[in-house]
Amino acid sequence: MKILVPVKRVVDYNVKVRVKADGTGVDTANVKMSMNPFDEIAVEEAVRLKEKGAVSEVVVVSCGVAQCQETLRTAMAIGADRAILVECADELQPLAVAKLLKALADNEQPQLVILGKQAIDDDCNQTGQMLAALTGWPQATFASKVEVADGSATVTREVDGGLETLKVKLPAVITTDLRLNEPRYVTLPNIMKAKKKPLEVIKPADLGVDVIPRLKTLKVSEPPKRGAGIKVPDVATLVDKLKNEAKVI
Amino acid sequence: MNFQHTDDRRMLADSLNRFVAEQYGFETRDRIAKSPQGCSPELWRQFADLGVIGALFGEDDGGFAGGGFDIAVVFEALGRGLVVEPFLPTVLAGSAIAHAGNPAQKALLAEIIGGTRIAAFAHGEPDAQHEFNQVQTRAKRVGAQWQLDGVKAVVQHGEQADVFVLSARSAGAVDDEAGISLFLVPAGTPGLTLRGYPTIDGGRAAELTLAGVTLGADALLGAEGAGAATIEHSVGKGVLALCAESVGAMDVAKDATLDYLRTRKQFGVPIGSFQALQHRMADLLVEIEQARSAVINAAAAIDAERVIRERALSAAKVTIGRVGPLVAEECIQLHGGIGMTWELPLPHYAKRLVMIDHQLGDEDHHLARFIALGRAN
Repeated sequence: MKILVPVKRVVDYNVKVRVKADGTGVDTANVKMSMNPFDEIAVEEAVRLKEKGAVSEVVVVSCGVAQCQETLRTAMAIGADRAILVECADELQPLAVAKLLKALADNEQPQLVILGKQAIDDDCNQTGQMLAALTGWPQATFASKVEVADGSATVTREVDGGLETLKVKLPAVITTDLRLNEPRYVTLPNIMKAKKKPLEVIKPADLGVDVIPRLKTLKVSEPPKRGAGIKVPDVATLVDKLKNEAKVI
Repeated sequence: MNFQHTDDRRMLADSLNRFVAEQYGFETRDRIAKSPQGCSPELWRQFADLGVIGALFGEDDGGFAGGGFDIAVVFEALGRGLVVEPFLPTVLAGSAIAHAGNPAQKALLAEIIGGTRIAAFAHGEPDAQHEFNQVQTRAKRVGAQWQLDGVKAVVQHGEQADVFVLSARSAGAVDDEAGISLFLVPAGTPGLTLRGYPTIDGGRAAELTLAGVTLGADALLGAEGAGAATIEHSVGKGVLALCAESVGAMDVAKDATLDYLRTRKQFGVPIGSFQALQHRMADLLVEIEQARSAVINAAAAIDAERVIRERALSAAKVTIGRVGPLVAEECIQLHGGIGMTWELPLPHYAKRLVMIDHQLGDEDHHLARFIALGRAN
């Protein structure tokens, strides 16, 4: 059984991002980039499934600029077997990525696609769901536990007020939540092994996918600065302010 | 010149930085530093599993990397976490074995890289100051064996070591370059006694006394009387390691200070808004970048011919020796009184930054050496 794990190259989670002066987006020049943390969890889960014997091959895929090869090498150092880069210098929106993944799923015929529930740069939380719709496969999102057996996956999801457990028939799409696992530390011997693993580079045109953006970003701005707090003399004033000023109760 | 690390080193740095941040936080480090062992065998094994010890040695010696930039990447990350595990003794002793050892002796490297044996470098002596050729410990042939007598000072992690790379004079006067021999001395050899103590910057060291220590002929590491070149080679790698560790520690001290200046308020505004403090931070940043450049220069020169290599290493150590204590003092000054409290990580970084200047030759020693090497050329 084969697993496809899409991974995205994003601004490192430790970096405090800045909005470009012209408000067209976030400044990524000279900024440390890393694998999207949710995708790292997805790679870890796929590798664990392989180590348990439930999976025979883990294929990682990234869509984006040439530097995404670094991200793919990291995924292979975690334990993925091979990598595919769909190289594209232009902006890729979730629908375009989902279409590319659909084309790759048609080629690779994986039984499972595991990917992060969202990327920490645009926070879209759309790609996995769009891919499930395009492929017509069942989806289990925000997974906190995954078990694969007998042609189906049992997925525990974190929902408001508790845990929900789903059983989906394979092939399926699973998106990972933060508590699914804790990714391992990449070891130097595995970094060396990853250098020898195959990495295929293709173009969107090779997959026959149109990646032209459908959405236009009008403006990006910094969140408003938090105002100073105030002290209230008693509970009655507090309740009054929450009701009439903040309008939260 | 491309200052970007290769993918391998970038991934190693990412993984090691994450490991140190998550598993070797300040409280863990403080507990380990104050423990009777002065290091953690469990974490040492984990470092070995990550391949961090192997990164310090070349593939021919059973490691994974071993280049100047590999040593620099590892030690910069260790410096960021003030790691007190025996990495420096491993570089010093391991490099000596790799440089001068015969195949049987080099077999020991596999165990060192695997984290199952710890090697320490017993070279400094109470009267040697920073003169690396000053060796009073004597080695004399007794039949087919060697007998060693003398004292070795401040042997880092001496109590935890399974084996010592130890220098002794088999010929010549006390400060002659020729006549120094190196030996592999297993811990527990009769006649070898240790007195351990905590060091001022965390971790532990030991004084070694050798009274009639008898070793077989196979304990000799390299050629008899030709140990000076191996010592210079090992100390060179150790100097690079210390310099990179210092840059990592400086970065953390600087970031903590910057954060404090943005947080601490006086007269209703963050003290970082005062221009006088901004100037001091800007000067500090320039100095740290200067130190970083010196380390990059030294790392790039580690395999160059002798004079170029040794001058680059001494130049880096001079810069680190000047900038490290400056960063320590400025960061404490900018913090004010709280900068001296043990509960804050900063003073621990400050102590380490000051002590790095005194390890493997201080600023004055390396400045004089840099000048002498230039004149000799």
